Amino acid sequence: MSFWLTVIRQVGRNLRMTWGSQLMTLLTVSLSVLIFAFFYLIYANMLNLGDKLDDDLSLIVYLEEEPGPELQQQLRNKINTFDEVEEIRFISRAEAYQRFAKQLGKNEDVLNDMPKDFLPPSIEVIPMKNLRSLNQVKLFSAYLARLPGTLKVQYGQDWVERFYYFTKLLSIIVLLSGTLLILTTIFMVAYTIRLTILGRQAELELLKLVGATNNYIRTPFLLEGVLQGVLGSSLGIVSLYILFQWIKLRFSGPSFLNLFQFSFFSPGVGLTIICVSILLCTLGSYSTMQKFLRI
Amino acid sequence: MIEMIKVSKNYPPDVVALKDISISINSGEMFFVIGMSGAGKTTLLKLLCSMELPSNGLIEIGGKPIHNLKGFKLARLRQKIGVAYQDFKLLTDRTTAENIAISMEVSYKKPQMIRNRVRSLLEQLDLADKHDTITGELSRGEQQRVTLARAIANSPTMILVDEPTGNLDATTTEKVMQLLTNCNKAGATIVIATHDESIYRHTPHRIMELRKGQLHAMVGGRAS
Repeated sequence: MSFWLTVIRQVGRNLRMTWGSQLMTLLTVSLSVLIFAFFYLIYANMLNLGDKLDDDLSLIVYLEEEPGPELQQQLRNKINTFDEVEEIRFISRAEAYQRFAKQLGKNEDVLNDMPKDFLPPSIEVIPMKNLRSLNQVKLFSAYLARLPGTLKVQYGQDWVERFYYFTKLLSIIVLLSGTLLILTTIFMVAYTIRLTILGRQAELELLKLVGATNNYIRTPFLLEGVLQGVLGSSLGIVSLYILFQWIKLRFSGPSFLNLFQFSFFSPGVGLTIICVSILLCTLGSYSTMQKFLRI
Repeated sequence: MIEMIKVSKNYPPDVVALKDISISINSGEMFFVIGMSGAGKTTLLKLLCSMELPSNGLIEIGGKPIHNLKGFKLARLRQKIGVAYQDFKLLTDRTTAENIAISMEVSYKKPQMIRNRVRSLLEQLDLADKHDTITGELSRGEQQRVTLARAIANSPTMILVDEPTGNLDATTTEKVMQLLTNCNKAGATIVIATHDESIYRHTPHRIMELRKGQLHAMVGGRAS
């Protein structure tokens, strides 16, 4: 009988003997992978969304008076002194009115009684792509607010800040669920292997006495860990995929989710999560063997 | 060839199990170790299969010291030694066939070969009908024979047997001894530790008597 065939038979025997705890471990590993992958999926999508929003980021500087050509140049110079920007556009009162009317579409007639110059003139500043952190945007906004003749600077502060803190919170949750994944995976697998080893103490001693090599005794336990990792993580990822598809179907149509383009992991990311889980499970199995398998 | 040179074994705190034992056992010899309970018979067998290490002295098998063997080399040595333990060391939740097969599985023998060998041994030991019986449900005598079957299943070059007939009737004792004699004729070195006089009374083989861990007498001498 070949080595691997014998090892596989041993693994089968171990699984049969401790199927209850094996099942619990499998479910725990899957659940940990599911929790981690779930938050990571949201986090990754939020980052994508953040990148998209960054592309559309512009700061609007409302001015008291419409600037003449000379003042426009001066303001342009002042803005460029702080940092190089992608684009600076001056919007006159008339242009602002036209834009607003266009945005109102069919309801344009509500503006009929309004004077054409009721909107303030403004400067639209589109920062460079490297000006992306919230602090930088805040500093830039404060600088623009101090420019002479400025009424107010707007860039959707509340929304951007909330989004920024939400992403930060998500990154913490991803870190925590990652730690949970590591701990539960290693400890649960280690505990199950320990149960198997303790339940088979007499057999392991006998195997040693009849001349089983260390590899013959150890490999089935390592393989058990690998198997837990493969099955547990695959089950977790597949469950998440099904959940993801269900949410997409359930909430398709004009809803909040449709504002963003939510997408699942790339196969590479899924494979990485599975590989890391296998590694963690094997580590759990190995650490128990080092502690409890006296051969 | 087995060589034991001035071998002693002490257990804490101050139990002397064996003291200055020096013997040579030729390849293919059948060798009896006799003595009362506590004389050191089992300890001697445990030292020979490297289940325990000597406190002093040297043990060589085939010209190689065995006390420093580890890992793969120790496993290979143990595959060549079949041991029937006094306390049986059976897996009581497994069948008779599975218990016997275990010694062949570790040598990666083919499944068909294992099945045939197990059936043949069970027939020789009058246990053919116990093939699928859980060993925990067997009588002491049956368990003893399963232990013996497991010891010789892998066709080892050395067979160590501890009290092989302790729980057997006269007829079964004869069958067990016949099986061991057949193994010996096939070239295996057999060391039998016993206090059952009926199995060594008329033997032409060497008999070593231990008393309180020391070599008391060596009789016989037609080493094959």
